[in-house]
Amino acid sequence: MKNVLHWSAPEGTGDGVLYKVKYSVYGVGKWIRKPECRNINRTWCDLSNETADYEEQYYASVKAFLNGMCSDWMETTRFNPLTDTKIDPPMVNVSSTEKSISIILTAPEKWKRSPDGESVSLLQVYPGLQYNVSVLNKKTKKRWFFSVSNNTLVVPWLEPGTAYCVSAQIHVTTPLLHSGFSKEYCIATLKDKTA
Amino acid sequence: RILMSVTEIRSGFTAIKANIQARDPIRTLSILSHPQSLHKVKSSDRCCIIHNLFNFYMDKVFKHCQTEDSYINRKISSIANSFLSIKKKLEQCHNQNKCLCGQESTEKFKQILANYEGLNITSAAIKSLGELDILLDWMEKSR
Amino acid sequence: LGEDALLPSPQNISILSTNMRHFLTWSPVTIQGETVRYSVEFQGEYEREYANESWIPICECSLITATVCNITEDISATVAYNLRVRADIGARRSQWGTLKGFFNRITTSLTPPPMKVIADGYHLLVELKDMGPAFQFCVLYWKKEPYWLMQWKMVKDVSSTVHLDTMEAGHDYCVKAQTYVETINRSSSFSQTQCVRAQGGRSL
Repeated sequence: MKNVLHWSAPEGTGDGVLYKVKYSVYGVGKWIRKPECRNINRTWCDLSNETADYEEQYYASVKAFLNGMCSDWMETTRFNPLTDTKIDPPMVNVSSTEKSISIILTAPEKWKRSPDGESVSLLQVYPGLQYNVSVLNKKTKKRWFFSVSNNTLVVPWLEPGTAYCVSAQIHVTTPLLHSGFSKEYCIATLKDKTA
Repeated sequence: RILMSVTEIRSGFTAIKANIQARDPIRTLSILSHPQSLHKVKSSDRCCIIHNLFNFYMDKVFKHCQTEDSYINRKISSIANSFLSIKKKLEQCHNQNKCLCGQESTEKFKQILANYEGLNITSAAIKSLGELDILLDWMEKSR
Repeated sequence: LGEDALLPSPQNISILSTNMRHFLTWSPVTIQGETVRYSVEFQGEYEREYANESWIPICECSLITATVCNITEDISATVAYNLRVRADIGARRSQWGTLKGFFNRITTSLTPPPMKVIADGYHLLVELKDMGPAFQFCVLYWKKEPYWLMQWKMVKDVSSTVHLDTMEAGHDYCVKAQTYVETINRSSSFSQTQCVRAQGGRSL
């Protein structure tokens, strides 16, 4: 839910174009200027702070200036922070024993106003959040899939001294959203001491 | 099974959301979310609000949303028929008196009707249809 | 269009519905030396009760020569639908032929899911085929002997090899599965049971 407004520069204008941005809460009667995005030459503006309440929906608008001339306000479609967002993969933490691996999954946090602000997990935003976990046996090249609701998974009865690679994905059923799979975290089960 | 039908409604709405919302030029008014938000409804009033809103969409919204686009019309039919199948299930609760309307939800629903009647019928219907995700988000969040 | 009454309307209109995929079929109207085209329309319960019994055309099945139409996209709610077909030759048009009785997707026939059971060391796995967003799979598995505790797992996301459980060394485990469609609250019959053996020797 880090919500950044992006736009393309007007065609054929080259450098020197400046922009200003405003936004509005859908259903509320006024447009609000974004001071930090006034007379900027970049083509994006971070509106995360202004669109943090995901029970509301929003519009944003941009105007371009060059040599005393200006464009019309160009408006976005209606933005719903809950559904019109991308979800990052979960963090994956793997540890192993001789015959098992333990996987701890952490859902990303909702964007927050400041580092010391209150952390809100996506679990609280999307009650139906689940994890799809892929476990690849590097020796046999076989991949298994698990679907878990809680954030820990232990896979027992594995082969000692074998490398396993784990990656995970977040899956939300309503609204239908899913992250990509995380990068793979590989770990080897400990060698069999009795062998 | 209501949840699965809601998922089907969500999928139908997602397919037409941009088109329908683009037909609603009024940014400063909302049917469902202002001045009072659905998210402020007490859980005890939830069933009554959902029951009333499903009747609202069946009686006052879908039939006034005919467009020139046959794909959009088919999706609206799909959503409307899913609404009808949910409405029939909700009626079972309503008939068993498990869906009583408190003062607050009665006021809330009056406000929604007032918002609707503040616009001409087609604009109000299209705006209501374009706000379906507000209803679905609230239903899914508080289930 | 005075002549259209001469063009017979399509007959034997029926629905083939399997695993939530619904097809309308009808017998061809044959007119010597002519190409007959057909158009299909549907009407849901909402249209009958709230929208003046209006009919909605299916544009993918408008003026087609085939005698089958995939109506899956439009039969998207668990309510009673009406369907009708008419024939066209140039400016000539038949009366509508209407499906006898309503169609509700709750009557779709559900087939047992194709399934492959795998033993990978001490791990019991199953491969299932994705049958679309409406489908879940109820997978039952049990240790063959001596102890017959049957367990089950609901599988929604079928991406590849789904892990069911771990197995005791050297024991046989059996698995069977059925599909479940939540929107119509119905299940298929179970697939054939498949059994596999966990690696290693049995402990006495």
